[in-house]
Amino acid sequence: MTDLTEARMEKLEDEGSNGRNFLWITLAGLGIVMTLGAIAGFMGEHQADGGGELSGVGVAVLISFGAIVAGLSYAIWRNVKKLKSNGEPMTKREKLNRNIIVGLGLLGGVMGFVLSTSSIGNADGNGPGSLSAIFSSGPLPLTVVLPFVFIWVVIMPVVAWFWHTRAIDEQEANAYRDGGYYAAYAFLILAPLWWVLWRGDFLPEPDGVAIYLIFSLIWSAVWFWKKYR
Amino acid sequence: MKNQLKVLRAMRNWSQAELGEHLDVSRQAVNAIETGKYDPSLPLAFKISRLFGQPIEEIFDDGFDGGQNGEA
Repeated sequence: MTDLTEARMEKLEDEGSNGRNFLWITLAGLGIVMTLGAIAGFMGEHQADGGGELSGVGVAVLISFGAIVAGLSYAIWRNVKKLKSNGEPMTKREKLNRNIIVGLGLLGGVMGFVLSTSSIGNADGNGPGSLSAIFSSGPLPLTVVLPFVFIWVVIMPVVAWFWHTRAIDEQEANAYRDGGYYAAYAFLILAPLWWVLWRGDFLPEPDGVAIYLIFSLIWSAVWFWKKYR
Repeated sequence: MKNQLKVLRAMRNWSQAELGEHLDVSRQAVNAIETGKYDPSLPLAFKISRLFGQPIEEIFDDGFDGGQNGEA
Protein backbone atom coordinates (compact mmCIF):
# COMPACT_ATOMS: atom_id res chain seq x y z
CA MET A 1 0.00 0.00 0.00
CA THR A 2 2.62 2.48 -0.99
CA ASP A 3 2.20 5.59 -3.09
CA LEU A 4 -1.17 6.52 -1.65
CA THR A 5 -2.65 9.57 -3.31
CA GLU A 6 -4.25 12.29 -1.22
CA ALA A 7 -7.69 11.24 -2.41
CA ARG A 8 -7.01 7.67 -1.42
CA MET A 9 -5.77 8.76 2.00
CA GLU A 10 -9.00 10.68 2.51
CA LYS A 11 -11.00 7.61 1.59
CA LEU A 12 -9.03 5.41 3.97
CA GLU A 13 -9.56 7.93 6.76
CA ASP A 14 -13.29 7.67 6.16
CA GLU A 15 -13.32 4.12 7.48
CA GLY A 16 -14.37 2.37 10.64
CA SER A 17 -17.59 1.71 12.46
CA ASN A 18 -20.30 4.28 13.06
CA GLY A 19 -21.46 2.31 16.09
CA ARG A 20 -20.21 4.71 18.75
CA ASN A 21 -21.79 7.69 16.96
CA PHE A 22 -25.13 5.92 16.53
CA LEU A 23 -25.03 4.87 20.19
CA TRP A 24 -24.50 8.46 21.34
CA ILE A 25 -27.22 9.71 18.98
CA THR A 26 -29.66 7.10 20.33
CA LEU A 27 -28.80 7.74 23.99
CA ALA A 28 -28.96 11.52 23.52
CA GLY A 29 -32.33 11.15 21.74
CA LEU A 30 -33.69 9.05 24.61
CA GLY A 31 -32.27 11.59 27.06
CA ILE A 32 -34.14 14.40 25.29
CA VAL A 33 -37.43 12.45 25.36
CA MET A 34 -36.98 11.68 29.08
CA THR A 35 -36.01 15.26 29.92
CA LEU A 36 -39.06 16.56 28.03
CA GLY A 37 -41.13 14.07 30.02
CA ALA A 38 -39.55 15.40 33.22
CA ILE A 39 -40.40 18.98 32.17
CA ALA A 40 -44.02 17.93 31.44
CA GLY A 41 -44.20 16.16 34.81
CA PHE A 42 -42.70 19.14 36.62
CA MET A 43 -45.16 21.56 35.01
CA GLY A 44 -48.04 19.15 35.71
CA GLU A 45 -47.09 19.10 39.39
CA HIS A 46 -46.89 22.87 39.37
CA GLN A 47 -50.38 23.14 37.84
CA ALA A 48 -51.72 20.60 40.35
CA ASP A 49 -50.34 22.75 43.16
CA GLY A 50 -52.39 25.70 41.96
CA GLY A 51 -50.26 27.03 39.11
CA GLY A 52 -49.28 30.67 39.12
CA GLU A 53 -45.79 32.08 38.75
CA LEU A 54 -42.85 29.74 39.17
CA SER A 55 -40.57 30.29 42.17
CA GLY A 56 -36.86 31.00 41.72
CA VAL A 57 -36.09 27.34 42.34
CA GLY A 58 -38.71 26.33 39.79
CA VAL A 59 -37.21 28.62 37.16
CA ALA A 60 -33.73 27.26 37.94
CA VAL A 61 -35.01 23.68 37.53
CA LEU A 62 -36.58 24.55 34.17
CA ILE A 63 -33.40 26.28 33.00
CA SER A 64 -31.40 23.19 34.03
CA PHE A 65 -33.75 20.94 32.06
CA GLY A 66 -33.43 23.31 29.08
CA ALA A 67 -29.64 23.19 29.33
CA ILE A 68 -29.74 19.37 29.38
CA VAL A 69 -31.93 19.32 26.24
CA ALA A 70 -29.61 21.83 24.53
CA GLY A 71 -26.51 19.83 25.50
CA LEU A 72 -28.01 16.57 24.26
CA SER A 73 -29.12 18.24 21.00
CA TYR A 74 -25.57 19.48 20.51
CA ALA A 75 -24.27 15.94 21.14
CA ILE A 76 -26.62 14.61 18.42
CA TRP A 77 -25.50 17.28 15.97
CA ARG A 78 -21.80 16.58 16.69
CA ASN A 79 -22.19 12.84 16.24
CA VAL A 80 -24.21 13.19 13.03
CA LYS A 81 -21.39 15.38 11.67
CA LYS A 82 -18.82 12.75 12.68
CA LEU A 83 -20.60 9.86 10.94
CA LYS A 84 -18.21 8.18 8.56
CA SER A 85 -19.13 8.40 4.88
CA ASN A 86 -21.60 11.10 5.81
CA GLY A 87 -22.78 12.61 2.54
CA GLU A 88 -21.43 9.77 0.39
CA PRO A 89 -23.98 8.12 -1.86
CA MET A 90 -25.64 5.13 -0.23
CA THR A 91 -26.62 1.93 -1.94
CA LYS A 92 -30.33 1.37 -2.66
CA ARG A 93 -30.44 -1.17 0.16
CA GLU A 94 -28.92 1.26 2.66
CA LYS A 95 -31.34 4.03 1.65
CA LEU A 96 -34.31 1.70 1.94
CA ASN A 97 -33.04 0.42 5.29
CA ARG A 98 -32.60 3.96 6.62
CA ASN A 99 -36.03 5.04 5.38
CA ILE A 100 -37.76 2.05 6.96
CA ILE A 101 -35.97 2.58 10.30
CA VAL A 102 -36.78 6.31 10.31
CA GLY A 103 -40.38 5.61 9.26
CA LEU A 104 -40.86 3.02 12.00
CA GLY A 105 -39.24 5.34 14.53
CA LEU A 106 -41.72 8.08 13.64
CA LEU A 107 -44.63 5.61 13.74
CA GLY A 108 -43.42 4.41 17.16
CA GLY A 109 -43.24 8.00 18.37
CA VAL A 110 -46.81 8.68 17.22
CA MET A 111 -48.02 5.43 18.82
CA GLY A 112 -46.24 6.29 22.07
CA PHE A 113 -47.78 9.75 22.07
CA VAL A 114 -51.27 8.34 21.41
CA LEU A 115 -50.82 5.73 24.17
CA SER A 116 -49.56 8.26 26.67
CA THR A 117 -52.45 10.64 26.05
CA SER A 118 -55.41 8.35 25.47
CA SER A 119 -55.45 5.84 28.31
CA ILE A 120 -58.74 6.00 30.18
CA GLY A 121 -58.43 5.89 33.96
CA ASN A 122 -54.87 4.73 34.26
CA ALA A 123 -54.70 1.55 36.37
CA ASP A 124 -51.23 2.41 37.69
CA GLY A 125 -52.29 5.83 38.86
CA ASN A 126 -50.24 7.60 36.17
CA GLY A 127 -52.12 10.46 34.60
CA PRO A 128 -52.66 10.72 30.84
CA GLY A 129 -49.70 12.45 29.20
CA SER A 130 -47.05 10.89 31.41
CA LEU A 131 -44.29 8.78 29.91
CA SER A 132 -45.08 5.80 32.12
CA ALA A 133 -48.69 5.82 30.88
CA ILE A 134 -47.37 4.31 27.62
CA PHE A 135 -46.69 1.01 29.42
CA SER A 136 -49.62 1.10 31.80
CA SER A 137 -52.39 -1.50 31.86
CA GLY A 138 -55.19 1.08 31.83
CA PRO A 139 -58.14 0.58 29.45
CA LEU A 140 -58.00 2.11 25.96
CA PRO A 141 -60.81 3.44 23.75
CA LEU A 142 -61.77 1.33 20.72
CA THR A 143 -60.73 4.18 18.38
CA VAL A 144 -57.15 3.60 19.59
CA VAL A 145 -57.27 -0.18 19.91
CA LEU A 146 -58.45 -0.88 16.34
CA PRO A 147 -55.76 1.15 14.51
CA PHE A 148 -53.11 -0.40 16.80
CA VAL A 149 -54.35 -3.90 16.01
CA PHE A 150 -54.24 -3.05 12.29
CA ILE A 151 -50.65 -1.77 12.63
CA TRP A 152 -49.44 -4.86 14.53
CA VAL A 153 -51.33 -7.45 12.48
CA VAL A 154 -51.14 -6.00 8.95
CA ILE A 155 -48.49 -3.27 8.68
CA MET A 156 -45.72 -4.73 10.86
CA PRO A 157 -45.52 -8.20 9.19
CA VAL A 158 -45.41 -6.59 5.72
CA VAL A 159 -42.72 -4.10 6.75
CA ALA A 160 -40.73 -6.86 8.52
CA TRP A 161 -40.87 -9.09 5.45
CA PHE A 162 -39.87 -6.19 3.18
CA TRP A 163 -37.06 -5.17 5.53
CA HIS A 164 -35.59 -8.67 5.70
CA THR A 165 -35.83 -9.43 1.99
CA ARG A 166 -35.07 -6.07 0.39
CA ALA A 167 -33.42 -3.65 2.81
CA ILE A 168 -30.78 -5.34 4.96
CA ASP A 169 -27.62 -7.10 3.86
CA GLU A 170 -26.29 -10.41 5.15
CA GLN A 171 -24.11 -8.87 7.87
CA GLU A 172 -27.10 -7.12 9.41
CA ALA A 173 -29.29 -10.23 8.97
CA ASN A 174 -26.61 -12.17 10.85
CA ALA A 175 -26.52 -9.57 13.64
CA TYR A 176 -30.32 -9.63 13.84
CA ARG A 177 -30.39 -13.43 13.99
CA ASP A 178 -27.81 -13.47 16.80
CA GLY A 179 -29.89 -10.91 18.68
CA GLY A 180 -32.89 -13.23 18.30
CA TYR A 181 -30.94 -16.18 19.75
CA TYR A 182 -29.79 -14.22 22.80
CA ALA A 183 -33.29 -12.81 23.37
CA ALA A 184 -34.94 -16.22 22.93
CA TYR A 185 -32.61 -17.88 25.45
CA ALA A 186 -33.08 -15.01 27.89
CA PHE A 187 -36.85 -15.46 27.53
CA LEU A 188 -36.67 -19.26 27.95
CA ILE A 189 -34.59 -18.88 31.10
CA LEU A 190 -35.94 -15.69 32.69
CA ALA A 191 -39.69 -16.13 32.12
CA PRO A 192 -40.02 -19.47 34.02
CA LEU A 193 -37.49 -18.23 36.59
CA TRP A 194 -39.66 -15.21 37.34
CA TRP A 195 -42.77 -17.45 37.42
CA VAL A 196 -41.16 -19.89 39.89
CA LEU A 197 -39.80 -17.07 42.06
CA TRP A 198 -43.30 -15.52 42.11
CA ARG A 199 -44.79 -18.82 43.24
CA GLY A 200 -42.12 -18.97 45.94
CA ASP A 201 -43.22 -15.50 47.02
CA PHE A 202 -39.86 -13.91 46.19
CA LEU A 203 -41.06 -11.65 43.34
CA PRO A 204 -44.32 -9.98 42.28
CA GLU A 205 -46.47 -11.67 39.64
CA PRO A 206 -44.78 -11.91 36.19
CA ASP A 207 -45.51 -8.86 34.08
CA GLY A 208 -46.05 -9.53 30.37
CA VAL A 209 -45.12 -5.98 29.34
CA ALA A 210 -41.87 -6.10 31.35
CA ILE A 211 -40.96 -9.46 29.79
CA TYR A 212 -41.71 -8.07 26.31
CA LEU A 213 -39.53 -5.01 26.99
CA ILE A 214 -36.62 -7.09 28.35
CA PHE A 215 -36.87 -9.43 25.33
CA SER A 216 -36.89 -6.47 22.90
CA LEU A 217 -34.07 -4.69 24.71
CA ILE A 218 -31.77 -7.73 24.66
CA TRP A 219 -32.54 -8.39 20.98
CA SER A 220 -31.85 -4.75 20.04
CA ALA A 221 -28.68 -4.50 22.15
CA VAL A 222 -27.15 -7.65 20.65
CA TRP A 223 -28.17 -6.61 17.13
CA PHE A 224 -26.49 -3.23 17.67
CA TRP A 225 -23.35 -4.78 19.16
CA LYS A 226 -23.01 -7.35 16.37
CA LYS A 227 -23.67 -4.84 13.63
CA TYR A 228 -21.52 -1.94 14.83
CA ARG A 229 -18.81 -3.43 17.08
CA MET B 1 -10.94 -14.42 9.41
CA LYS B 2 -7.98 -12.43 8.09
CA ASN B 3 -8.31 -11.10 4.55
CA GLN B 4 -6.79 -8.85 1.92
CA LEU B 5 -9.94 -6.85 1.23
CA LYS B 6 -8.59 -3.54 2.51
CA VAL B 7 -5.43 -3.85 0.38
CA LEU B 8 -7.38 -4.82 -2.72
CA ARG B 9 -9.81 -1.97 -2.17
CA ALA B 10 -7.00 0.56 -1.71
CA MET B 11 -5.41 -0.64 -4.96
CA ARG B 12 -8.65 0.21 -6.74
CA ASN B 13 -8.84 3.54 -4.89
CA TRP B 14 -12.31 2.69 -3.61
CA SER B 15 -13.85 3.84 -0.37
CA GLN B 16 -15.68 1.33 1.82
CA ALA B 17 -18.94 2.82 0.58
CA GLU B 18 -17.91 2.35 -3.05
CA LEU B 19 -16.94 -1.27 -2.48
CA GLY B 20 -20.23 -1.75 -0.68
CA GLU B 21 -22.01 -0.47 -3.75
CA HIS B 22 -20.18 -2.97 -5.97
CA LEU B 23 -21.11 -5.82 -3.63
CA ASP B 24 -24.63 -4.57 -2.84
CA VAL B 25 -23.91 -4.50 0.89
CA SER B 26 -23.63 -1.62 3.35
CA ARG B 27 -20.42 0.27 4.13
CA GLN B 28 -20.74 -1.12 7.65
CA ALA B 29 -20.67 -4.67 6.27
CA VAL B 30 -17.50 -3.93 4.27
CA ASN B 31 -15.90 -2.53 7.42
CA ALA B 32 -16.91 -5.59 9.46
CA ILE B 33 -15.44 -7.97 6.85
CA GLU B 34 -12.21 -5.98 6.52
CA THR B 35 -11.65 -5.95 10.27
CA GLY B 36 -12.37 -9.68 10.54
CA LYS B 37 -15.43 -9.16 12.72
CA TYR B 38 -17.75 -10.75 10.18
CA ASP B 39 -17.02 -13.65 7.83
CA PRO B 40 -18.95 -13.30 4.56
CA SER B 41 -21.23 -16.03 3.26
CA LEU B 42 -19.95 -18.24 0.44
CA PRO B 43 -22.03 -16.39 -2.21
CA LEU B 44 -20.62 -13.03 -1.04
CA ALA B 45 -17.09 -14.45 -0.90
CA PHE B 46 -17.47 -15.59 -4.52
CA LYS B 47 -18.79 -12.15 -5.45
CA ILE B 48 -15.71 -10.54 -3.86
CA SER B 49 -13.48 -13.06 -5.59
CA ARG B 50 -14.99 -12.30 -9.01
CA LEU B 51 -14.90 -8.54 -8.41
CA PHE B 52 -11.16 -8.54 -7.72
CA GLY B 53 -10.32 -11.39 -10.13
CA GLN B 54 -8.61 -13.47 -7.46
CA PRO B 55 -9.39 -16.88 -5.99
CA ILE B 56 -11.14 -16.90 -2.60
CA GLU B 57 -8.14 -18.45 -0.82
CA GLU B 58 -5.94 -15.60 -2.05
CA ILE B 59 -8.27 -13.06 -0.45
CA PHE B 60 -9.31 -14.90 2.72
CA ASP B 61 -7.00 -16.69 5.14
CA ASP B 62 -8.67 -19.21 7.45
CA GLY B 63 -5.40 -19.92 9.26
CA PHE B 64 -5.16 -23.50 7.93
CA ASP B 65 -1.45 -24.33 7.60
CA GLY B 66 -1.69 -27.48 5.51
CA GLY B 67 -2.25 -29.90 8.40
CA GLN B 68 1.28 -29.53 9.81
CA ASN B 69 -0.10 -28.89 13.29
CA GLY B 70 -2.18 -32.04 13.37
CA GLU B 71 -5.23 -30.74 11.48
CA ALA B 72 -6.55 -33.05 8.77
